[in-house]
Amino acid sequence: MGRVKTAFLISTAVLVTGCATSAKGISTSAVMKSTMAEPLRQETPPGTVMAVLRYPAHVEDDAKQAYYDAYAKRGIGGKWSKDKRDAAEIQALADGMIIKSNYYALSVYKEMAAKMPEHSVLLSPHTVKLGANGKLTSEPMTQAESLPSVVTVDFTSYSFPDAKKMMGKAPLTFGDLVTPLVTVHSDHRAAAPTQGLKLASAPILNTSAGSGRRGVGQSLAALQNGTFETSVPPLDFISYLNADSAARVPSQSFGSMSPNTVTSYPLEKIQLDKKVLAKINSKGASVQDPLKASFSSGFANQVIGIINRTDVNKATMVSRAAAIAQYDPSLAALTIVGSQDADYLARYRYAERLLEAEQKYLSVQSLRLFDGVYNGEIGVQTRDMLKAEHDHLEERRELARQQNVNTTMAVLGVLATGAMIANGGVGQDCSRSRTQREYYECQRRNQAANKVITDVAIAGIAYTGSKAYSLNKQSKMMGSNYLSSVAPVLEQQQTVQVNLIDSNETITAIRFEDLRSKLQTLYSQKQRSLDTVATRCGYTHDGAVKSGTWLGVCENGLANGAGVGVLRADDGRSIEYYGYAVNGQPQGAGYMITHTAAGSTALEGNFIAGRADGTMRETKAGKNAQVMSYSAGTPTGQAPVGSPVATPFDKMPMSLSGAGN
Amino acid sequence: MKHLLSIITGLAVLSAPAMAQTAAPSGDVAIVAPSQQYCVTVMSGFPNDDHVARYQFFRLTQDIAEGATPQFRAALSQYGDADVNAQTPILDVIEAIANPVLRQAAPEMVIGFMEHLIDFEDRCGVYLDGQISSLKAYDGDLIWEDPLIAEDALFLRQILSESLERAGASNDPSHAFASQDYAANLISTRDNMEFQVFTTEIDDLEALYMTDLDGRLARSNDIINKEMDRESLDDAITLANDMDKDFKEKEDQRRLYTLWRILGR
Repeated sequence: MGRVKTAFLISTAVLVTGCATSAKGISTSAVMKSTMAEPLRQETPPGTVMAVLRYPAHVEDDAKQAYYDAYAKRGIGGKWSKDKRDAAEIQALADGMIIKSNYYALSVYKEMAAKMPEHSVLLSPHTVKLGANGKLTSEPMTQAESLPSVVTVDFTSYSFPDAKKMMGKAPLTFGDLVTPLVTVHSDHRAAAPTQGLKLASAPILNTSAGSGRRGVGQSLAALQNGTFETSVPPLDFISYLNADSAARVPSQSFGSMSPNTVTSYPLEKIQLDKKVLAKINSKGASVQDPLKASFSSGFANQVIGIINRTDVNKATMVSRAAAIAQYDPSLAALTIVGSQDADYLARYRYAERLLEAEQKYLSVQSLRLFDGVYNGEIGVQTRDMLKAEHDHLEERRELARQQNVNTTMAVLGVLATGAMIANGGVGQDCSRSRTQREYYECQRRNQAANKVITDVAIAGIAYTGSKAYSLNKQSKMMGSNYLSSVAPVLEQQQTVQVNLIDSNETITAIRFEDLRSKLQTLYSQKQRSLDTVATRCGYTHDGAVKSGTWLGVCENGLANGAGVGVLRADDGRSIEYYGYAVNGQPQGAGYMITHTAAGSTALEGNFIAGRADGTMRETKAGKNAQVMSYSAGTPTGQAPVGSPVATPFDKMPMSLSGAGN
Repeated sequence: MKHLLSIITGLAVLSAPAMAQTAAPSGDVAIVAPSQQYCVTVMSGFPNDDHVARYQFFRLTQDIAEGATPQFRAALSQYGDADVNAQTPILDVIEAIANPVLRQAAPEMVIGFMEHLIDFEDRCGVYLDGQISSLKAYDGDLIWEDPLIAEDALFLRQILSESLERAGASNDPSHAFASQDYAANLISTRDNMEFQVFTTEIDDLEALYMTDLDGRLARSNDIINKEMDRESLDDAITLANDMDKDFKEKEDQRRLYTLWRILGR
């Protein structure tokens, strides 16, 4: 029985170490299945883009260690193996993520640009750097985010930092596997309850919500200081690595259609089509995009769906005002609710045309960035790398299969040997012995034969078990060898890519400044004077708070006319108001967003002396916008069906009442 | 306006014989339904020695009649008083409208002349369109949206608006709205024209900068892409493969040794 015990011990050991997974992924992302492709139904005013696609493109030298450390510390979707952490492997995976994000973001850009009007999608590569506080941050490398856009999309292709888990279930972007991390934000004015967050990958959803909340705070602080302009937020993925403060927002699973909630996109490891991947760098053929059919095309549809359900005017009004303020500060605040005055309309039209010129110019930069990386040597090398990675994975998958065969054989051997021994072993039937001596001889021969068979079986089991273990080691070593060999190549490629983006930006920026100055001159020469100009003055909300700021039409130092008001109330609420005011207080049609620690809500309709009064559209988290009756700031019940709701944006052509709310 | 004056000066010589021939007795403008005879008569007063000038005057007449509502035409009828008829050459009519002395001294004459042109366009629009189409078919280089013609038409319409103001239409309850509306319309037309000029300038600037940028970026991309050392990837993969092979050989040896040990027990 001692041998049986040995055999079982071996089999247990083999089972524990011998079963191998083979780095599988899903063939089609949820984004490809969840919704029907819908055409873009929205339009944007000239100078406003539909989407800006942001992605990590570079890590500055002095930020590299912090980036690697944070990346290792904040792994997503897996658990570290017990093996010692290898810094070189972590760096190779981290650098690989940047290279792949750079490349796959262009697939998403290509698909989005193909489904939207010309010049309406811009690229915004980010450089990861250390902020003033010594923490990681990211900054745009181009001017794309200086233009108003309906949504911003963050894209990162992710890999879990433990190379030992490459063949397991942990997220990976390597070879034929891609794990996208995405978020989609609009301006919070178009999605008050979620503070602008529309969709986010599940693991970074709360961080993205935190980013949205910080964005709200920064925007309100800027308005309070009399400007529309706010700094560009870092990439959500970098905020996640930084462990920046998170926030809770109502969310829903992918494919659900609950209003005023964030869609949570599951973490997916997508396996690309091997046939497409095999032809990825075929000479003479057009560039194959393996991500298109598995993810990019469907994701572009998702973004279009989000844009279709977003109030374009609310999403872009403040960023548009910020862009116009560069040319014409006295016009900027008036553009929030617009006007029918001939002098305003004439001037606004000129300003829009300037932004349109900027938009087209920056769009050329995006197209050239795409072309330079995707169609140039950088793209060819990236595709070569994907092919090599795929071959590498295939070899390791083959090893995994062999390992599993060996494991199975070892286990079956143990079971067969055990069964044989339990049944008395093999040999002659000794009961037919004619004498006692013959019987003992027969028994001795049988025992000897059984010993040989058992020894051979155990030797076989031990060998196959050892082979399985060896194959496992070999597979891990292959991963390690590949990552350590390719690390300098990744670094070199990143350097060339950054050179390309930097060079593009340098060339663009010099001429962009020049273009802007010429546009400014043209604008100054041609514009007519405004009868009513926007300035900065006091906003008192309901009269109780005196510390608010109004950007718009003023009289006697107080809000009087159209504009934007913002203040922080003594009870901790932050209030922003867009519409008409009299004597510092909202009066007439307006749109008010109230932020509290519990969340944000929006009210649109008629205001009297700072209080909602009449039929109001009320927007809260997780619910469809409701039309309610209000009296002196207090809700009095549901408004009769069909009750008209006053809106301050009726002079804005792109305002879609209730969209996104 | 320079354009208008040059046309007028040029055509003054050309149309002098026509003026002599058409010194017809004055009479009221026909107010009855479109009459082919009337239209042909007025059109014969347009320049006929130069097809470009004839085309430009037809287009100018069309543009002049822009924005003339029935209410506004009633005001013209009320305040206009000019000695003009179907035989009056078009050049004389336009010269009279553009005459600064006449504008100051006799706004009702200016109104009357403009009313004559507007009335002609209204009654003979079909013939006018036909003539314009024929001329365009004859000469494909003729421009439909000629900014100079549009500028001249707007100038004449502004003269008309000012003349009405001078004649007191804006204080007349019956005609104030129509004349003020016409004046506001002129401002918006002027805005549109100025915006058009601005857009053209921006278009040029945009084309210049975008082409320049595109070329520079393409060249820069080509240069930087050449920095890519594609052999380095091949080398790295070869190195990794060699390391894998080496490790595999060692593992095979180790396994053989294990087997030997097992069998040798």
